[in-house]
Amino acid sequence: MAPDGQAAPPGIAGGGELGTAIAAEPPPRRGAGQGIGTIFRDNLFKDAKNSILTLIFGGVILFVLFKTFNYVFITARWEVIYNGPLEFYMVGKDFGRTGISFEMLWAGIYTAVLAMGIGSGLGYDPEAPPMRRGARMAMIGGPLVGIVFILSMTRTITPTLVTLGVAVAMVVGNRIGRRLPQPIRRRSGWILLAMTALAFGLITDFTPSNIDDFGGLLLTIVVAFAGIALSFPIGVIMALARRSTFPLIRPLAVGYIELVRGVPLISLLFMGQFAIGFLFPPDANIPGPIFRAIIMITLFSGAYVAEVVRGGLQSVPAGQIEAGKALGLSPFTITRQIVLPQALRNSIPALIGQFISLLKDVSLLVIIGLQEMLGVVDVVLARREFVNQGYVPEAYAFVGTIYWTLCFSMSRAAQRLETRLGVGTR
Amino acid sequence: MSDQSPDNETPASTSLTNAATIAGGTGEPIITVQGVDKFFGDFQALSNVDLVVGKQEVLVVIGPSGSGKSTLIRCVNHLEEHTNGTIIVDGVELTKDIRNIQEIRRECGMVFQSFNLFPHMTVLDNITLGPRRVRKKPKVEAEAAGMELLELVKIPEQAKKHPGQLSGGQQQRVAIARALAMEPKVMLFDEPTSALDPEMVKEVLDAMQDLAESGMTMIVVTHEMGFARAVADRVAFMADGEIVEVGTPEHFFTNPQEERTKLFLSQIL
Ligand SMILES: Nc1ncnc2c1ncn2[C@@H]1O[C@H](COP(=O)(O)OP(=O)(O)OP(=O)(O)O)[C@@H](O)[C@H]1O
Ligand SMILES: [Mg+2]
Repeated sequence: MAPDGQAAPPGIAGGGELGTAIAAEPPPRRGAGQGIGTIFRDNLFKDAKNSILTLIFGGVILFVLFKTFNYVFITARWEVIYNGPLEFYMVGKDFGRTGISFEMLWAGIYTAVLAMGIGSGLGYDPEAPPMRRGARMAMIGGPLVGIVFILSMTRTITPTLVTLGVAVAMVVGNRIGRRLPQPIRRRSGWILLAMTALAFGLITDFTPSNIDDFGGLLLTIVVAFAGIALSFPIGVIMALARRSTFPLIRPLAVGYIELVRGVPLISLLFMGQFAIGFLFPPDANIPGPIFRAIIMITLFSGAYVAEVVRGGLQSVPAGQIEAGKALGLSPFTITRQIVLPQALRNSIPALIGQFISLLKDVSLLVIIGLQEMLGVVDVVLARREFVNQGYVPEAYAFVGTIYWTLCFSMSRAAQRLETRLGVGTR
Repeated sequence: MSDQSPDNETPASTSLTNAATIAGGTGEPIITVQGVDKFFGDFQALSNVDLVVGKQEVLVVIGPSGSGKSTLIRCVNHLEEHTNGTIIVDGVELTKDIRNIQEIRRECGMVFQSFNLFPHMTVLDNITLGPRRVRKKPKVEAEAAGMELLELVKIPEQAKKHPGQLSGGQQQRVAIARALAMEPKVMLFDEPTSALDPEMVKEVLDAMQDLAESGMTMIVVTHEMGFARAVADRVAFMADGEIVEVGTPEHFFTNPQEERTKLFLSQIL
């Protein structure tokens, strides 16, 4: 559950900490005349105890850094990543055998990234306080290290160009989002939804069943994204239903939430694979295994989102609702305009934690035989050129880096969102 | 409930209830409260309350903590549901029907002790939300009207800020403007200055006095006796869920009849 960076390889984590440490080091900026020597002495070697601690921890840090660098640059045998199988990690098999159209895939990814950029730009507030330097460095630096590491495993220029393209699309989207004129801005939710649907259509070549051909990182992202996008509205609706005073609605919501939360995700996934079929007539077009997994992950996450949002709803003071009532607003308007905006803002940290753990939960698909990113590791390590040659650490370190980069970016983006939405409201 | 309650049957008390007839304003009733009881579980917060408020009248309600002042005015716009009795606002009787309730709420602006502004909206959006969603006013029109109200409470320059960026006095004036934006026939104030720092009380009371002078019908729960003296047409004293005594400010502050009133006044004056 806890949104920890469980899979962070030491090298990357070290890099991130280093970044923050440097940025946080000189807090009191005394006169310009003070040299770096003084700063060092004041902060690290103030007295005997201070000096000893500095030496001990400095030694430990240096040792870890040395070991990490040594591993990453000298002893690790990264050919298990770049020597052929990189495509496996990305899409689950040789690209040619997936039936995925390269052009459509990238058109879809660019559309999705553009939508994300626009979304981020919409929330831009020129009056918001600028980010602290340390936070900014961590937000950009952490993922950058991860991405550079991932790209260093490629042997052609195309992936780098495509990644740069993604970055450009993100920035362009952000600028578009900032400048969007008011009338369009009001409908931006629908526009973003349409773009997301288009992106999904493009990625699957407008044949949703193609998704059963997906694997690797692509599968992880598609399942996680679909799970997040679908479980969020379900969770909000269930949270509201749980507070409803209608006769049947509340017990139904409580039943769903408590049932799902009382069962491990794995058993839901198994049920999805083996039990859902019984609910359909024998000749029906039963959704494929990946769709079933998405349904189960959505149901699972939806229950947790509902509880998170319920907490957010409870945090809105009763006086807010009374003020809405006193204005003569309808219950729907009170919920939509007054309660939900405040409740969701208060839920953001916990929601992001939930979505990060959803992303990591996707790795459980390996247990029902779907080759998402973690499952691909087994496939790769079973190949003749790698099998039984001790490539395990490299493969998992690589996959771990990808997971870490994704989760860390999500959590930083959320932090940024949180500070923005908090402006002028406390 | 207390040793005073038998007095309610005495002629003196009846004449006081008669003094509850409208003093200021046009003399035409706009709010009628008849025999209203309110129970919270077993606890009786209001017992057999009768009250008539006239158009353009200013009625100030005072009384010790827990006497049911808030409960009374919250029953008028159905933030609390009264258990027995009748409440009529502008000719419409308050029933359980949600449409009926919303109709009455549209006619009753309410200002709370703790402001209850919407923190995620700008000041102007706070004010225009009601007119746009309930009265279906177009945005431009609602904003123009909202700016006029902000001029009225003397803070037009704060329109684009969020409530959290304003002082308490400014927030309460925004809350008054927000209630007025619905063009209500009656304004209910529940201790509007109790949460304010002393130096901000006056700006809010001034805004309320301006409003009273413009002819707004107002029920004001407050501990500000200066305001009661200067602005009220009538003062009602509540204790233990009952209206003990109603009268003009002169009657009230110079010649109160009931023991409980005298005791209360001696404690606060
Ligand atoms: N929701 C509630 N549930 C139970 N009891 C309540 C509730 N609201 C109010 N009461 C009780 O009803 C009585 C009257 O409360 P009310 O808030 O009307 O008093 P008040 O005269 O406004 O006091 P104050 O000056 O402190 O605001 C109090 O004894 C209070 O404890
Ligand atoms: Mg009160």
